[in-house]
Amino acid sequence: MNKNDKLLIVFLVPILLIILLLFKLTSVKSNKVANVYYENQVILTIDLSGEEQDYNVKGYNGNVKIKAGNGKIKVVEETSEKHLCSKQGYIKESYETIVCLPNKIVIKITSNNDLDATL
Amino acid sequence: MEIKKITRLSILLSLSIVLSIVESLIPIFNGIIPGLKIGLANIAIMIALYAYGIKEAVFVSIARIFIVGILRTGLFNITFFFSISGAIFSLIAMFIFKKIKIFSIIGVSIIGSIFHTIGQILIAILFVKNANILYYLPVLILFAVPTGLLIGYISKKSLTNFLEKK
Repeated sequence: MNKNDKLLIVFLVPILLIILLLFKLTSVKSNKVANVYYENQVILTIDLSGEEQDYNVKGYNGNVKIKAGNGKIKVVEETSEKHLCSKQGYIKESYETIVCLPNKIVIKITSNNDLDATL
Repeated sequence: MEIKKITRLSILLSLSIVLSIVESLIPIFNGIIPGLKIGLANIAIMIALYAYGIKEAVFVSIARIFIVGILRTGLFNITFFFSISGAIFSLIAMFIFKKIKIFSIIGVSIIGSIFHTIGQILIAILFVKNANILYYLPVLILFAVPTGLLIGYISKKSLTNFLEKK
């Protein structure tokens, strides 16, 4: 490993950590809602302040079952080869995303306050 | 192409295929962050790049993706385009950074690993038509640094052996 290799690591890692820290700091705290996208369309908006409940949306490969409430959301069941998005489990921060690639479903947490949502 | 080179490239190709399969059997990263991989197959590609050149590295990389596709994951599906896109991005980046000679093989491997991630995120955005996936990029790049470092280190060690017997 030469000097430049070390410089690359020494510069890159802190920058990435700072970006992640910014994500964490700007994360939505209250009025959390989850937007479920199919491609670029919001097909379902779920208020996460309520009790946990099951929702079903239609993905590219068929039904996608979602469990959401108490400030968090997860995919319970979907049709795909590796089941990456149902293995991912709950997300609860606005910088986290669930991506069901084979089903073209993306789940993103935002605030239901319009001002916050545009930030 | 002389026979010795053909043989050695075939060995690298089979090595990369076996490493892909071995990697798919290691479940350490399953479920922590989707899409996270060590990229063991890249050891063979790094060796091809440094022992021969970009043409040979492209051959090993693309041939590997097609063969692994035929054997296991299927051709022309999402997994396939994911691999191709990541491979093309990382090969181009590694070729450029190897040429300008500011990094050693380890730095080039880290760069390759990072661009592999970028290539995959871009294809994912095209596929789901949703740019929200970009949020993944910093985390994935953060993990690409240690995996690139590991692959670079192993490649450096193996390359010495490979070249001695060339």
